[in-house]
Amino acid sequence: MIRPVVLLSRAAFAIAAIALGPSSSATGAELRGFDAGSMRAIRAAHAGKPFVLAFWSTQCVPCRQEMALWKSIADRNPKLPVVLVATDLPGQEEIVTRFLARYDPGAVERWAFADEFAERVRYAVDRTWRGELPRAYFFDAEHRAEARSGLIDQSWIENWISRQAKPARKP
Amino acid sequence: MAQSLRTVLLAALFWLGSASGQHHHAGHGAASAGRAAELGAMAAIDAQGILWAAHKEGGHVLVSRSGDFGRSWSNPTRVTVEAEGTDPSGEARPKVATGNDGELYVTWTRPLGKRHIGEIRFSRSIDGGQTFSKPLTVHADRQEIAHGFDAIAVNRSGQIFVAWIDARDRTAASAAQARDYRGAAVYFAVSDDRGASFRGDYKLAEHSCECCRIALSPRDDGSVLVLWRHVFAPNIRDHALAAMHPDGRAGAVQRATFDDWRIDACPHHGPSLAQDAQDRLHAVWFTQAPERSGVFYGRLRAGGVDAERRVGGDAAEHADLALMGKRVAVAWKEFDGERSQLRAMVSEDGGDNWQERALAATSGASDQPRVLAWKDRFYVFWNTRNEPLSVKELP
Repeated sequence: MIRPVVLLSRAAFAIAAIALGPSSSATGAELRGFDAGSMRAIRAAHAGKPFVLAFWSTQCVPCRQEMALWKSIADRNPKLPVVLVATDLPGQEEIVTRFLARYDPGAVERWAFADEFAERVRYAVDRTWRGELPRAYFFDAEHRAEARSGLIDQSWIENWISRQAKPARKP
Repeated sequence: MAQSLRTVLLAALFWLGSASGQHHHAGHGAASAGRAAELGAMAAIDAQGILWAAHKEGGHVLVSRSGDFGRSWSNPTRVTVEAEGTDPSGEARPKVATGNDGELYVTWTRPLGKRHIGEIRFSRSIDGGQTFSKPLTVHADRQEIAHGFDAIAVNRSGQIFVAWIDARDRTAASAAQARDYRGAAVYFAVSDDRGASFRGDYKLAEHSCECCRIALSPRDDGSVLVLWRHVFAPNIRDHALAAMHPDGRAGAVQRATFDDWRIDACPHHGPSLAQDAQDRLHAVWFTQAPERSGVFYGRLRAGGVDAERRVGGDAAEHADLALMGKRVAVAWKEFDGERSQLRAMVSEDGGDNWQERALAATSGASDQPRVLAWKDRFYVFWNTRNEPLSVKELP
């Protein structure tokens, strides 16, 4: 569950001035199963660093447009992890993989819902999310998230990225 | 009996076939195990009080019969000839409607090819659900584009209306390099011969949202009202209303909800609609407009909404609605962190005052609930993993 508060340790807060961290090894063709426990694992994998978590599905037309955006972001910000999660029901991994090959989001982490109880998975991410897509979360180094529903404006993302690179202000 | 046993055996064979033919990756075993039966299902009650459910298992569309409002179900009858793929959106499901003379009409979206395109299929039973006709494609358009989110209704004189979301105008605009075609379009077809054939590909409206179920409500004059999530310029995903006429004419498109939800997104969350004897339109719908996020009930009128009220709490989803005379019933589900709660509210005075109650809960995955009305009683049909094709009677 995402809360608008500091989720990581004070130590992480202290090193918030460090710029974007190295990208995860989960990029590439591998499609990983996303369930109610995955949120914790993803946050731990990117501890102390900003990252983007973006949900999409093969049925969502605006999501297809967003794929090119993620590729552009990933290409120009190789150290910013982008975690892409397909919310298609389990069993659709083949179609999800085909879509990813066709719409090519670039060097991003690729996950797909592995639990047909979608409400439970969504709740673990954000209890205010009603399933609309695309839905993206922009986690800063302290893992405070900004949530965005709908097709995102590239300039908004670039502005967010530029803010992550700046030293953190004193609390 | 021999026939139904054979159906079960065939279903089992197809289940095995489809299960072994699927590619799962490691760690998905538990979630995959129950997938042969899809959760998307729909039910209807015929004039004799028989409950019919359309559901999908092992890639086949099936129809099950219950003579005791869901306490027990007959062995399902298979509608499809060949197993078909899954539409993964959560808003798509097989539909069943009953005709005026005991007919059963079933529609569904058959996924085609590799890019999540589909076509609207139809089959009927004119022998009380014992056999179903060879499925036909409802629309004349055979482009490999998106046709989906089928909805079916039967008018007083027995004409069948099927409406669906259609991507042909968007595809044409894209081919012509026209930029920014908003959404998709709503098309419909009509059958005058109890589903033996359809005429149509009548366009109801352009610029519908692409991924929300459509709501239908037949009217006394033979037309059928349609409520759908529209994309008003530039990107307002509120609802629109228009009538489908039996001769293929499309009524004027009217704005029906006024939340001003501006977003380029797929809500996967369609409305529900019913018309009462005073021609008032009762609806439930979902919006995420700023300051107005949630599920709402209201009576739709030109230019506004009367008796509007929020349905359920912050987590309310996928409400459905039915009415009988002055009584209106709404059912929805809410996830509480552990279980999905099935809740309902009933109004005895046409939607001005309401009584809310809990109906059921499940700790597993579940479909959207459907409200059914029959002889002064409301029933909520809810297909859940733990309790398939369950029916709760509203007190």
